[in-house]
Amino acid sequence: MSKPEKLIADGIRLDGRKPDELRPIKIKVGVLNRADGSCYFEFGGNKVIAAVYGPREVHPRHMQKSTSAVVRYRYNMASFSVEERKRPGPDRRSIEVSKVSREALEPVIFQEYFPRSAIDIFVEILQADAGTRTAGINAASIALADAGIPMKSLVSACAVGKVDDTLVLDLNKDEDNYGQADMPIAMTPDGNITLLQMDGHLSRDEFREGLEMAKKGCTAIYEMQKSALMEKYSSQIEGDNSE
Amino acid sequence: MSNEIIAELRKDYIYNLMIKGEREDGRTFNQYREITIDTNVIDKAEGSARVKIGDTHVVVGVKIQPGTPFPDTPDQGVIITNLELIPLASPVFEAGPPREDAIELARVTDRGVRESGALDLSKLCITPGEKVWMVFIDVHVLDDGGNIMDASALGAIAALMTAKLPASRFGLGDDSVVPLRDVPVSVTAVEIGGSIMLDPSMDEESIAGTKLTVTSNQAGELSAMQKSGVHPLTTEQINYIVDIAIEKAKEIREKFLVI
Amino acid sequence: MDKKLVIPGDFLSDEAKLAEEGTYVEEGKVYSSVFGIASLKNHIRVVPLSGKYIPRPGDLVIGTVTEVAFSNWIVDIRSPYEGLLHISEFPRRIESTEMSRFIKTGDSIMTIVKDVDARMKVELTLNDQRTRIIKEGRIVEVTPSKVPRLIGRGGSMIAMLKNETKCNIFIGQNGKVWISGKDKGMDLAVRAILKIERETHISGLTERIAGFLKEEKGEKLKEKEPEVIEEGKEEKELDEAVKEEPISQEEEKVQEEKQGGILDELLGDDK
Repeated sequence: MSKPEKLIADGIRLDGRKPDELRPIKIKVGVLNRADGSCYFEFGGNKVIAAVYGPREVHPRHMQKSTSAVVRYRYNMASFSVEERKRPGPDRRSIEVSKVSREALEPVIFQEYFPRSAIDIFVEILQADAGTRTAGINAASIALADAGIPMKSLVSACAVGKVDDTLVLDLNKDEDNYGQADMPIAMTPDGNITLLQMDGHLSRDEFREGLEMAKKGCTAIYEMQKSALMEKYSSQIEGDNSE
Repeated sequence: MSNEIIAELRKDYIYNLMIKGEREDGRTFNQYREITIDTNVIDKAEGSARVKIGDTHVVVGVKIQPGTPFPDTPDQGVIITNLELIPLASPVFEAGPPREDAIELARVTDRGVRESGALDLSKLCITPGEKVWMVFIDVHVLDDGGNIMDASALGAIAALMTAKLPASRFGLGDDSVVPLRDVPVSVTAVEIGGSIMLDPSMDEESIAGTKLTVTSNQAGELSAMQKSGVHPLTTEQINYIVDIAIEKAKEIREKFLVI
Repeated sequence: MDKKLVIPGDFLSDEAKLAEEGTYVEEGKVYSSVFGIASLKNHIRVVPLSGKYIPRPGDLVIGTVTEVAFSNWIVDIRSPYEGLLHISEFPRRIESTEMSRFIKTGDSIMTIVKDVDARMKVELTLNDQRTRIIKEGRIVEVTPSKVPRLIGRGGSMIAMLKNETKCNIFIGQNGKVWISGKDKGMDLAVRAILKIERETHISGLTERIAGFLKEEKGEKLKEKEPEVIEEGKEEKELDEAVKEEPISQEEEKVQEEKQGGILDELLGDDK
C-alpha cells in the first residue's frame, strides 16, 4: 500500500489508538511440550513463540565458558510470516536482531550459576507486523522464567516512534514504514535499559520524551507478563507447611 | 529419526505393552491421538493451518506469488514444499540448513500433494511460458511429539483448502480460490516387534525399526508412499498397512477435510 | 499466609541474612531469582516450579548410560552436566574391554554423585550399598525441585505410595523415580506420581493423593474380584517386604535400598 496522507488524525492513529496506547497483547505460558520453558505472545498482528532449552550441554564444546553459561538466542522468521515469502534461514537482519535481543536478556540471567552450559532461546516469528523483536524479547523473558532459569527480573520491550511529527508508542506496520523514527527499547522493571536501537530522526527532547513513553509501555507490558506467569499456576497455593 | 538414547527399560516397557496389545497412552494399535486443525491462523499467508496430533504441533503456511514456470512445463504452476526441523521443536533438532530427515519429510509431504493431483497445476498458469503461480508450502514444526509426517501432510492440505490466489495484489484480476481437485491424506504406521501401530508417539517412533507412510486420495487410491528406517517389512505387513491407511485416511478426510 | 507464588525480581523481605536458595540480595533487600513458591517463615527461599537438576556430591540419582567410552560410562542424569562413571567406581575390578558386558548404552543405573568439581565435572560411583543397575520396573520423571514434595514430610507421601501400590519406589534427587512391582501397582504409582507433579502447588496435596489412590484401587478391586483370592497371598508377602523397609526420616534424603546392593546382583551373575 502507498503512504496514507495522514497517520494521525485528531490525535487518533489509523488503527484507532491514542499516541501512547499499546496494541492488544495476548500471552500464554507453557505452550510447548518438549521445550523446558515456552511462551506464545501476540502483540497487535505479531504472533511469536519462544522456547527455552537449558541449561544444557554445549555443542560444539569450544563454545563453552568455564565459569558461566553461554546464552544463545535465535530469532527466526517463518517463511509465511511476511507479505512476500521470506527465504528460510538466517539473513543479516535476523542475525543482528538475535544478537541485540540476546544482549537485552543476558544482564538479568544468573549465568554464573551454570558454568560450561548453554541456555538456548529460540524465537519463531509466525506472523510479523512491526515490532517482532520486542515481541520476541517479551516472549523469551517469560519462557526463561517458565524454564526455571534464575534471573534478576523479567525484561519487557516495546518501541516508540515518530509519525506526523508526533511521538507514538508501539508502531504498527504503516507507522513503521512511513514514520519518521523508530526506537525499540527493552528494560528491566526497575528501569535499566537493556536494548536500545533507533533509526530515523528525533530531536534530543523528542528522544527523552520518547524514552519516557517507552518506559511506560514497558511497565504496562511487565504487568501483563507477570499475570500471564501467575495464571499458569492460578490454583490455590499450598497453604500447609508440609514442604 | 531421533538421536535420543531411549533407556532399555522404556523400550522393554513399550514392547511388553505391545505384546499385550496395548500402548502407553491407552490407544489401540489403529487409533490416532486426538487431532485438531485450525485454519487461517496466519493472516500474512494466503492459506494456513495449525495441526496438532497429540503433542505434535505444526503450523503450515501457504504463500502464493507469481513467478517463472519451469522450461519443461511452461503452462503449469509450481509447487515448492519446505520443512524445517527448527531447534525450538525438540532438544535434538539443530539450527542450520535442513538435513536428510527434514528433507525427506518435506519431499513426502510434497509428493502427497503433487501426485494426488490435489492442485490443478494447469489452472495455476497466468501467461504460458512466462508467468505462473508459485505455491510455497512451508511447514513449521513447533513441537515434536512423534509423527511429524502426518501432521505436516494434514497441515499442507488443510492450508491449501483455505488458500486464495492473491491476484488483486499483483494486478492480475480478482482473488480466487486455489483450484483443488483432491484431498490426499497421509497415514503413517510403525513396526515394533512385528506389530503394526498407526500414528507413532515420539518414543514409539524412536523405538520402531521402520515406518511406512501411505498417502491416499479421495478415491482410495495411492498417491505417495515412503518406507523410512532400516528394518525390512514383509509383503503381508505392507499390504496390511496399505489397507488400514486407506481406511484411516478416509475417516480423517471425512472428519476434518470436507471441501 | 507465608507462602506465595512469585516471579523473578519480586521483592521478598528486608532481612538479607535469612535469604536462601531461589533468592538474591541487592542493597540489603531480598528478591526472588526464580518463578516459584516463596516461603517466608524462618528462612526466605523460593522453590522453583521447573528447572534442571544441578548435581551435588552425595546425591543419589538415577541415570541412563548414553555411551561406553574408554574407561568411563557416560551417564545422562537429566542435568546440564553428564555424569562420568569411571571403571574404578565399578564395585569390582573389570577390564576396560569388557565394560559393555556389565553396563551398556541404554541401561539405567541408580548411582551416587561422588564428586563435582568447579568446572562441573561430575563423577559418579557404584561403590555404595544404595546403588544398583536397574533391570526391571519403570522410571518416571518429575521436576527435580518437586522431589521433596514427592517424598513428603518425614517420608509420608512416599510411604503412602508404596503401601497403596505395593511397589518399591526409589526417588533420585534428579527427579527420576524408579518403580518396581506388579504391572497394575506400577501403573497406579506412575499415575499418582504424575498427579503429584502436576498439583504440587495446590493445597491439600497429601489428602488428595490419598483419596486418588483409594478411589483408583476401589475400581480396580471391583473389576478384579475373581482373582482376589489368588493374588491375596502374593500381595501380602509384598506388603511385608515393603514394611520391612525403613522410611527415611529426613525428608530430603532419598530412600535407601537395604535388600541387596549392586554387588549381590553382579556376583549373582557370575555364579
